Amino acid sequence: MWQNFAQFWSSGENIAFFILSVVIISGAVLMLSFTKVVHMVTSLAFTFLGLAGLYVLLHAEFVAFVQVLVYAGAVTILMIFGIMLTRHDVDQEETSDRRLHHGLTLLGVLGFFGIMFYAIQQARFPLPDHSATITDNTAAIGERLFQLHVIPFELVSVLLTVAFIGAIIVAKREED
Amino acid sequence: MDAVYSQYAWLIPLFPLLAFVILVSMGRHMKTLGAYTSIIAVAISFVLSILLFAERMSGDVNDYAWNGFTWVAGGEFTLTMGFEINNLNALMLLVVTLVSLLVNIYSKEYMRDDERINVFYAYVSLFTFSMLALVMSENLLQLYIFWELVGVCSFLLIGFWYYKPEAKAAAKKAFIVTRIGDVGLFIAILLLFWYVPNHALDFSSIHNAVETNQIPAGVLTLIALLIFIGAIGKSGQFPLHTWLPDAMEGPTPISALIHAATMVAAGVYLVARTYDVFTPEALTVVAWVGAFTAIFAATIAVAQNDLKRVLAYSTISQLGYMMMAMGIGTAAAYAAGMFHLFTHAFFKALLFLGAGSVIHAIQKQDIREMGGLGKTMKVTMWTFAIGTLALAGLVPFSGFWSKDAILTEAYDHHPALFVVGLIAAFFTAFYMARLFFLVFAGEKRSEYKAQENNGWMTVPLVILAVLAVVSGFVHMPNLPWLGEWLTGASMADHTSWLVIVLSNIVAIAGLLLGWTMYGKKPVAEDPLSAGVPQLYRLLNRKYYIDEIYHALFVVPLRAIGHVLQLIDSYIVAGAVNLVSGTVLLVGKGGRRAQNGQVQTYGLITLLGFIAFVVLIVGRRYFHVG
Amino acid sequence: MGGIVTSYLTLAAILFSIGLYGALTKKNAIIVLISIELMLNAVNLNLIAFSKWGINPSIHGQIFSLFTIVVAAAEVAVGIAILIALYRNKATTNVTEMDTLKR
Repeated sequence: MWQNFAQFWSSGENIAFFILSVVIISGAVLMLSFTKVVHMVTSLAFTFLGLAGLYVLLHAEFVAFVQVLVYAGAVTILMIFGIMLTRHDVDQEETSDRRLHHGLTLLGVLGFFGIMFYAIQQARFPLPDHSATITDNTAAIGERLFQLHVIPFELVSVLLTVAFIGAIIVAKREED
Repeated sequence: MDAVYSQYAWLIPLFPLLAFVILVSMGRHMKTLGAYTSIIAVAISFVLSILLFAERMSGDVNDYAWNGFTWVAGGEFTLTMGFEINNLNALMLLVVTLVSLLVNIYSKEYMRDDERINVFYAYVSLFTFSMLALVMSENLLQLYIFWELVGVCSFLLIGFWYYKPEAKAAAKKAFIVTRIGDVGLFIAILLLFWYVPNHALDFSSIHNAVETNQIPAGVLTLIALLIFIGAIGKSGQFPLHTWLPDAMEGPTPISALIHAATMVAAGVYLVARTYDVFTPEALTVVAWVGAFTAIFAATIAVAQNDLKRVLAYSTISQLGYMMMAMGIGTAAAYAAGMFHLFTHAFFKALLFLGAGSVIHAIQKQDIREMGGLGKTMKVTMWTFAIGTLALAGLVPFSGFWSKDAILTEAYDHHPALFVVGLIAAFFTAFYMARLFFLVFAGEKRSEYKAQENNGWMTVPLVILAVLAVVSGFVHMPNLPWLGEWLTGASMADHTSWLVIVLSNIVAIAGLLLGWTMYGKKPVAEDPLSAGVPQLYRLLNRKYYIDEIYHALFVVPLRAIGHVLQLIDSYIVAGAVNLVSGTVLLVGKGGRRAQNGQVQTYGLITLLGFIAFVVLIVGRRYFHVG
Repeated sequence: MGGIVTSYLTLAAILFSIGLYGALTKKNAIIVLISIELMLNAVNLNLIAFSKWGINPSIHGQIFSLFTIVVAAAEVAVGIAILIALYRNKATTNVTEMDTLKR
């Protein structure tokens, strides 16, 4: 075991993974424990950035870039705008109903995690017989996207357009 | 000769029933008419009974039985309902209707100021109906039904003034104590049902079964004793006598009708009716229980101070006499017992109605507070005196003839019973003298204004007084007409001068002793309690029987009841509450889950998902399915 | 054990669980939305981890995660729009007060 431990720490990739996962998890946990909404969103931004770091570690540079742009940038900003447009009273009164709800949720989530963890530990993941040799990920993605996945790509663009137009209509004041 | 009126005898109980129905349905709007309804109904029954009796008397009329109504038909046996007329129940019908009629008339005045008078008359009519139907019953089960029905009426009427706690307790006690006897009777009926061929329960089948020895002797004795337990309960014999004195909480006319003349005599009648099953062993038990009750109750009566309770113990004592006569076992003794029932019905009803007359006039019941009533209440006093003499058994009053008939039989067959009967007769004479002199003689011992009651009350007294004098002549030692008529056996001249003289001497001695102690000079305190206080207290407390029963039965039963109540309230009710609580909880949980919040729905979905995964995937590991 | 991919999967499971807990317990609708984003990110992490360390590593996992990101972005946009509309009508972002499903 100690050998495994030492082996784990000898690899720089593993050290990076460890640090990034600490950042990700602490960001997520802080999101849960903060009381102010802005703090929560900010802490989550760290999680998103950490994830982008992990993507880099996994040789998915393009996805990491998109992650930073979309999540850490657009989504977080959108959230902050949403927060600013609404009012947030920090009311901390907990009813017994609510406490029961929290307890049950915690129980359920722990159970869920237990099942997932058990399944992950049980599963065999043999190392790939050939390591990914693609060096230019972004070019490969572009090729695939515009050859094999061109129809889904176009559909997703339509979806995005529809969603944004719909969002504008929904959020618009009715008297306007 | 064919029976004519016998065929229509079913009309006799019908009229009181009709009166009951009318009174129950319309009594509220009838005011004074209610009393007349009941009186007229009973009067018609009485006339029919006289006609029936006259027919029975006229000579050899066949017994008439009708059982045309099939009540239950199942497999091998059928249960019928019907009626039967023979000499025994013709006599009973006459007694019941006559006493009931007089009590009905008497109550018109006695209950005048009670606003529930129509309810009272409804109960009385129901009682009269049930008692008549009981007497006429053709089979034992039918008799049992009406036996319980008279018990219910007794309960209702004892507790008629239900706002008095004593009356309520007395009614309850009467019902429960007689119920103990009824259980015995019921078991006897079940045994008879089992042993008599074809599961017949009518009296003739039982008679035939006993004649042909189809029932083992031991079982027969057992049945007889169980029936006798029923009779003990109803007739207030030792040890189930305790309810009868307490029953005096009811209105006095009821004491006269139910608890002196008719219902309590039903026990004796039951023994007479099922006389076939009584084996010699059973009869010995009957005789000794009767004899013991006779002397036991007579001694208690000596030290009672409540006017009606003295008479109640006297009734118990006289019923013991009848039981004793039944137990002697000869045809003449049987006839003597029924004869005593017949005469006793009149003079005891007379005494109770006389007592009621006193109570109605001065609104007091304690004889120590009375005295000197004879000066103003002449009719009551004289009729009461006749009743006293008849009960004491003095020539030529009716009580003498019947008591003499019993004592003669006892003298001939059971000298020990004769001695007991004689002593009881002495006590009877003594306590009656005490009662009479304390109430009517001397000076008044408390403040009251006595005046004679009106005709509604005095006429029944006079009629009963006449009957108390003359009713004895139907069965004299040298002319036992009633006995021969009842039993069908011819009886020899049973005149025993020794018994006649002895019983008269005892009666006179008792009366004289009573007069010297209570009548000669005004007494401030009861000489008995002054002379022998311990004995007096023992008698006054009725040998502590009630207390013994309380400690022996009531306390343990109550303890068991408490335990059962605990079990009920914690275990049974707990289980019930658990069920309802679970359902409630599930419902509440379900309601809370349906609160319209997406998060709750999401939570439930998550939990369901986990349960689903555990069930489907976990099956592999747990080997459940 | 299953090699390096197990660590990524476990991390993704932790993230998903935290997101689930947040989505089911937080009162503020915005935080609920963010929690859902967190769950989506956990899924993305899985996809990309498999694209590198799976049995058949390929670029498809990354393309898949790109689609997921796009859909998630659309979802956030619509979600915020609905939230603002709701806030305008109810003057609250508290999800416990949004119980119109009951009526």
